[in-house]
Amino acid sequence: MKLRAITLTNVRRFTDPVRIDGIADGLNVLSEPNETGKSTLFDALHAVFFKPHGSSDKEIKALRPHAGGAPEIAVEIETGEGRFTLSKRWLSRPTATVHRGDRLIAQSDEAEAWIAGILGGAPGGPSGLIWVRQGLTTLAEGSGKEERQALEARRDLMSSVGDEVEAMTGGRRMDAALARVREDLARYATTGRGSPRTGGPWKAALDEVARLEADHAALSETARDLHTALDERKRARAELRALEAPDAVAARSKRLDTARAAHQAALRHAETVEAAAQKVGMSRLAVTAANRRLDDFRAARDEAQAAGAEATRAAQALAERRAKLEQAQATRDMAEAALQQAQQTLTAAQETRRRAERAQAARDGAERRRELAERIAQADAARDAMEQAGAEARIGPDAKALHRLEALAGALASARAARDAAATQIVATYDAGAEGRILLEGAALPGGRALPLPRATRLTIAGVGTLEIRPGGSDAGDSVESAESALREALDRIAAPSLEAARAAAATRDAATRRHAEAQARLTALAPDGIDALREALARIPDAEEDSDLPDPTAAEAAERQARSDHDTARLAHDLAAERLSGARSAAAGTEAAHGAAQARAARAAEAVARLGDVSDEALVQEMRSAAEALAAAEAVHADRLRAAPDLGTTAAELSRADSIAETAQAEIARLKPQIARLEERIARSSGEAVEERLAETAQALEAARADLARIEHEVAVLTRLDAALDAARGAARERYFAPVAQELRPLLQLLWPEADLAWEQDTLLPRALIRAGQEETVDILSGGTQEQLALLVRLAFARMLSKAGRPAPVILDDALVFTDDDRIERMFTALHRQAGDLQILVLTCRQRAFRELGGRLLHLERAG
Amino acid sequence: MSFRFIHASDLHLGRRFANIPQPEDSNIRGRLMEARHGAIGKLAQAARDAGAAHVLLAGDTFDTATPSAPVIRQALAAMAEAAGVTWWLLPGNHDNLRDAEPLWQTITQDGPANVRAIRDADPQPLAEVATLLPCPVAWRATGSDPTEALVTMPSPEGALRIGLAHGGITDFTESGELIAPDRDRSARLDYLALGDWHGRMAVSDRVHYSGSPEQDRFRHGRRGVCLSVAIDGPGAPPRVTEVETGQFLWAEADVPLHPGQDAGAALSAVLPATGRRDVLLRIAATGWATLSDRLDLLRAAGRAGAEFAHFDLVTDALRLQSDEADLEQIDRAGALRMAAEALRDEAASETLGATDRRIAQDALARLHAYVSEGTA
Repeated sequence: MKLRAITLTNVRRFTDPVRIDGIADGLNVLSEPNETGKSTLFDALHAVFFKPHGSSDKEIKALRPHAGGAPEIAVEIETGEGRFTLSKRWLSRPTATVHRGDRLIAQSDEAEAWIAGILGGAPGGPSGLIWVRQGLTTLAEGSGKEERQALEARRDLMSSVGDEVEAMTGGRRMDAALARVREDLARYATTGRGSPRTGGPWKAALDEVARLEADHAALSETARDLHTALDERKRARAELRALEAPDAVAARSKRLDTARAAHQAALRHAETVEAAAQKVGMSRLAVTAANRRLDDFRAARDEAQAAGAEATRAAQALAERRAKLEQAQATRDMAEAALQQAQQTLTAAQETRRRAERAQAARDGAERRRELAERIAQADAARDAMEQAGAEARIGPDAKALHRLEALAGALASARAARDAAATQIVATYDAGAEGRILLEGAALPGGRALPLPRATRLTIAGVGTLEIRPGGSDAGDSVESAESALREALDRIAAPSLEAARAAAATRDAATRRHAEAQARLTALAPDGIDALREALARIPDAEEDSDLPDPTAAEAAERQARSDHDTARLAHDLAAERLSGARSAAAGTEAAHGAAQARAARAAEAVARLGDVSDEALVQEMRSAAEALAAAEAVHADRLRAAPDLGTTAAELSRADSIAETAQAEIARLKPQIARLEERIARSSGEAVEERLAETAQALEAARADLARIEHEVAVLTRLDAALDAARGAARERYFAPVAQELRPLLQLLWPEADLAWEQDTLLPRALIRAGQEETVDILSGGTQEQLALLVRLAFARMLSKAGRPAPVILDDALVFTDDDRIERMFTALHRQAGDLQILVLTCRQRAFRELGGRLLHLERAG
Repeated sequence: MSFRFIHASDLHLGRRFANIPQPEDSNIRGRLMEARHGAIGKLAQAARDAGAAHVLLAGDTFDTATPSAPVIRQALAAMAEAAGVTWWLLPGNHDNLRDAEPLWQTITQDGPANVRAIRDADPQPLAEVATLLPCPVAWRATGSDPTEALVTMPSPEGALRIGLAHGGITDFTESGELIAPDRDRSARLDYLALGDWHGRMAVSDRVHYSGSPEQDRFRHGRRGVCLSVAIDGPGAPPRVTEVETGQFLWAEADVPLHPGQDAGAALSAVLPATGRRDVLLRIAATGWATLSDRLDLLRAAGRAGAEFAHFDLVTDALRLQSDEADLEQIDRAGALRMAAEALRDEAASETLGATDRRIAQDALARLHAYVSEGTA
């Protein structure tokens, strides 16, 4: 679509029709000073294309002149179909028409639809995209304040770009719808998580449902309790009624009486049975007694006979035994006497033999005793000698000590010789007659030989004085002294006054040691096992006994052997006799006991027979028979009574049962009455509270509350769904439109800023920053000029995109470049020209001089004829 | 001379109607409760009008087993005021013998002389010519025919046999309770007065449900009645007359819509012209409507609804007809239009569940409403 001409009638200051004609393809410029109505022209174009002729909102009203009247706007356009004139009139007799030449194509709503189609009415299409106002959307023009606000808004170029994008994505209507849906949703749910908001109706409905559910549960519980109590009371009452029913009471009491009577009768009968049983027992005893008496009688009689015979036999046997015993006694007495004799003989023989042997031993030991005594004496002497020598051998230095002494003495001699050799020597040579007149240490100094002087020495020379000789310092004196002291110390240790004495002591020790060894050897020879062994051997040799009557040992031994043999024979005879006596004695004792027993038995039997008194076998048999008959009779009586006896256990059980029934009934009654009272109290309370009425009400209220909640939840779901749908649509629209815009924009951008690029805000899909030479500058810090240039380019990009889509639309720019400097404006002009190649661009500007260089076709507002 | 009595049932005294929404400035619940109490007076009036000395209440006189004391006392007091009328109160399933034992005890002990609580299945002489054969409900759910005892229940020779029972008929599928519908024949009854079903229903010549004298639900579509019954003699067919006693009408209506129709007008057409204050109305909108139609319908309902005792517009069954004009109204193009179309497609989707479709449809309607608000 291309604009060709515009006619305004009754639009703001243009009460008389004005017209712009001859709008060409490409760039068109309407350059007029301020207050000539450029913005009016802009708003008028907007109204034609976007305001239905039926509209009378404030934007339309703002088009009306002060003087009043119906605004009329006509636009001539050219499309692929040809040239059309769109005319609209608002407020009074509103009309909309589309003419092709003089022919009316469409009017009213059809005309509106036609216009929408021209704008690219495809659903979701960017209709009116390029019909941009700089900044404000309101068509208001009037007060200076509004103008300033409009300018302000126009300068805020980025927000203008924002408007473009927002227009594509639903614009303010979308915002309003979203705000509305979110506002409504926020009453119910928290933003974000979508959970019920505290204090909101959703939460309130949820709480109400929860509260009613709890109430309902509690009341149900109470109602259930009431029902239970009612059932229990019913049961208890029925039980009580049954228990207290007069016939039940009578039946219980009758049962008890009957059972008691039956039990009494049974007890009495049991007593008679018991009596019969007793009688049976007694009869049985009588039978037993009779039987026993008969048996006893017969046994006693037989026993008496047997016992008498046995007693006689026993007496005979006893007499025989006694005779045998006496004989055996005599035999043993003799044997005993013989044994005693043999014993004595043996003892004497033994004594004699022992004495003979001792005498022989004494005689044999006399020589040996003397020899042993001598050896002991010698050994004692040897031991004394050994001990003395041993003591001596421990005195005096031993060989090792002496050797050390000798070494020390040698060292002393060496030291002295060394000293003397180094010492000052004096040699006195006496004059004749003067021998010994020089005294050394009080003694005469020998003459003619050298005398060493190891230390200061004073010589006294008779008649002359003293001469002190002081030899020079030498160490030799010291070593002599130390050698001397070492020797002296060694001598002192062995307590020897001199070396010679030490040597003598050593010799003495040596001799004693030798003596000691000799004595020891002698002792060992004399008493190899020690002297005590010798003394013991000596003690063992018996002293001699002088008895000339003693036989020789051999004869004594033979005599003893004979005596022993005799003794053994006698003992054997004695033992045999003793054994025989013992046998006889025990046989006699046994017979004697048997005799006693037989006698006792006979006596007892006689006594028993006597005791039975005057009875006969026949009498006893008769007695037994009558007792047996009596027993049979008693048994018959007992059996009869037993058969007729009632079961005592049964009657007792019956009685106890009847008793227990009565007692249980009492206990139940005692339990039921208070239970019923309690239940009645409970029932009265619950029914008084009208629990079921309230339960029914709560159930109804709960039902209503749930419905309410469901409605609210549906409402929340609806709002959430709508929110999501709007959000998704806006997001999709941004995606859908903005990406191509960005692509279109890039070459334009680089016309102005080579290598520049735009960074896009992810959320809003708006340009966020301009990137130049790698530097990112956010849009809000860009200069006003840059911002408006950016906005213009964005807009051109949109137009270009539309054009490519086969729906070219004019770009109308109302004072688009306010802040742009001359150099930049040149380049912007280039961009505009470049775009104008395939777009129709209409520039409205008040900057006549600056835009003179823009080129393009110049337009003019002219009065319409 | 014929024997006359009034047959009613299911007064449900004490029902509180907590399921009926009550706006802050309304007392609809109180009015509904009050109307139930008022039924007693209307029954008494019907008895007087018919010259009947007995009112047989076939169960569920009370809504619950333990009504609150005022409900009981005021009911008994109202019954006592009806001089010359004897009230026979049969326990139903709501006030059955077991659960409502305290209630029946109270009525027996403290009730006025002309109120008889039936606590046993024993014949009761109504007059010389008629015997009442009652079948009180012992449990909330019995699962057996409570009228079985009627077959063997004795009555004096030549007296009318009038059965009084509470429960469903075999033919009903609703409750599962099983009263043989030919019980009048098997038990040689001249009339069987039944309760439990809240609507009026004649099962046969001699077997009738009177329905509740004051309706309490959207089901039966008319005001409550009681039955005035006259029987000329044993074996004679009873003459049954319905006497309207109900104050409130519980009405349901469908508003079938099609796109382009004036939805507001369609709604107005089904609304009753008069007596709206005593009408509880549930309107079910069905068919197809555009977003604008829907908006019109809601606005019309909002205007008219307040005139009624209760007004409920159910739009669950109303399907959305996608209309270009509606979508145009939302937006000609752009993201709003895309969102609207996405929702429209979702609402018409064959693959989505009914709930999701409903949500999408309502979301679209809401979007339309928002946008309309914005431009209006």
